Amino acid sequence: MRSRLILLPLASLLTAPPAAYATTYLTTEQAQTLMFPGAQLTPDFRVLTDAQAAAIRKDSGVDVLSKELKAWRASTGGWFILDRVVGKHEFITFALALEANGAVKDVEILDYRESYGDQVRGQAWRAQFLGKQHGAPVKLGQDIRNISGATLSSKHVTDGVRRLLSTWALVLAPHAA
Amino acid sequence: MQRERAKPLLGTIVSIRASFGDVAEADAAIAEAFAEIRHVHRLMSFHDPQSDVSRINREALFAPVFVGPATFEVLTWAQRLALASDGAFDVTAAGMAVKAGALPAPSSPFEPRPAASWRDIELIEEMSAVLIHKPLWIDLGGVAKGYAVDRAMAVLKARGAQGAVVNAGGDLAVQGPDVEPVWLRGPDSALIELGQGALASSGDEEADRRAPGVHLDMRNRRRTPSGRFVSVVADTCLVADALTKVVMIDGEAAGPLLESLGATAFLSEAQWPWRQLGMAA
Repeated sequence: MRSRLILLPLASLLTAPPAAYATTYLTTEQAQTLMFPGAQLTPDFRVLTDAQAAAIRKDSGVDVLSKELKAWRASTGGWFILDRVVGKHEFITFALALEANGAVKDVEILDYRESYGDQVRGQAWRAQFLGKQHGAPVKLGQDIRNISGATLSSKHVTDGVRRLLSTWALVLAPHAA
Repeated sequence: MQRERAKPLLGTIVSIRASFGDVAEADAAIAEAFAEIRHVHRLMSFHDPQSDVSRINREALFAPVFVGPATFEVLTWAQRLALASDGAFDVTAAGMAVKAGALPAPSSPFEPRPAASWRDIELIEEMSAVLIHKPLWIDLGGVAKGYAVDRAMAVLKARGAQGAVVNAGGDLAVQGPDVEPVWLRGPDSALIELGQGALASSGDEEADRRAPGVHLDMRNRRRTPSGRFVSVVADTCLVADALTKVVMIDGEAAGPLLESLGATAFLSEAQWPWRQLGMAA
C-alpha cells in the first residue's frame, strides 16, 4: 500500500482550484445498451407545457428547469430518460431507466463536469508543475482521475430522479392526462 | 479493458473503475459491486427508517435489536476504535450532530442523553444484537462509506479484476497494479500517489459552514480547529474513513494510534504546511 505525498504549491498562487474536473462515463447509446440490453429504444421526446411543469413541480417538490423531456420508450416495456442537473459547481448528465409501471430500474451517471466561473486554466499554467516534483512528472488535469476531499453530493441527481418519477406519472404513464 | 461507471449512492457519487478481460465480465462485476454498495447503504443509512441503524435508534433502549453480520461487523470495529482512540471516535456523536443541525432528528421515542457515549452500547455477539443502556443515537456515517467501498472492492477482486478504483465521494480504495494519483482537494491542494490500499479525507469547509461542529469531540464538546484538513491512507477504507475523524479531533496526538493501525495521515491546517503522521508512507 504505499503512498507518496507531492505538494502542489498552490498556496502561493492567488486564485482558486486548478483544472476543473470532467469525466464522461458513458455515452447515451452505451447507457441505453447497458440499462435495456437487447431492447429496441424508440425516441418519444416531449416538450412539457407550463401546466405540466407546474404539476410536476407541485408533485415532486422539485423545480422543472427545462421543459424538454428526452425520453425513449423501450420495446420490452419501460422508459429511458436522459436528463441534466446543475449543482453549485457542477453539471451532471444522467440516465434514468424506468420499468413499465414507472418504478426505478436503474440510474447511471453519464457525464460529470465541474465549472468555475473564473476558470482560465491552460497548458501554460499547468506546465509549471511538470517535472518539478520528486520522482516521475505528473501531468495535471488529464491524468488526475481520482479526487478526495471536495464535497460531492448526489442530492441534485436524486432530486432529478424524483422530478422524473413525477414526470412519468403525469406525462408518460398510460393513465396520464 | 477498462470500464468506469458512476451512480448516486450513499448520498454522494460513487464511481467504479475496473479492468477486465472483456466488457461483459466488467459490466457484470461492476453491477455486482454497486449492488454491494446499495446493500450497505440500506443497512446503515441514518435516514432510512428500515435500516439497522434506525431500528437501533428506535428500539435498542428497550430490547436487543438484531442486526445483520455487516452492521455487527462495522459496529464491533467502531467500538474497538472508540476504545483505542479513547472516545475520539464515537458513533454516538449522532446526538450532538442532530443538535448542531448536521443531521435530521431520527424518528425515535427517546432523546439522547448528553452523558451517553459509546460505552453505553452493548454488542451481544451470540445474538448479533445491539442493546443500549442509556438513551442515545448512533450514526455510522463516519464509517459506512469506507466499509461500502471495501465491500465493492472485494467483489471486484473476487470477480478477477486486473486493477480497480472504487471512489465514494472521496473515500476510495485502489487495487494494483497501477499507482493512482489522487488529488487532495483541501484548502491546500496536494497530490498523493496511491498503490494498493485506501484513502479518505475529512475537513470539508463547505460542510463545516453549513453545520458548524459537524466534527465534534464527544469527550469535551469541543469543535475541531477550523481550517483543518486530513487525508488518511490505510489498508482498508473502513479504517481510513474512521481515522479521518480521529485525526480531525486529535491532530498530531493521533500519531501512535495511526501507527498501531498501519495508517498514515496527511494533515493540513491554516498556518501550517502539510504534516505527515503515523506510519511512514
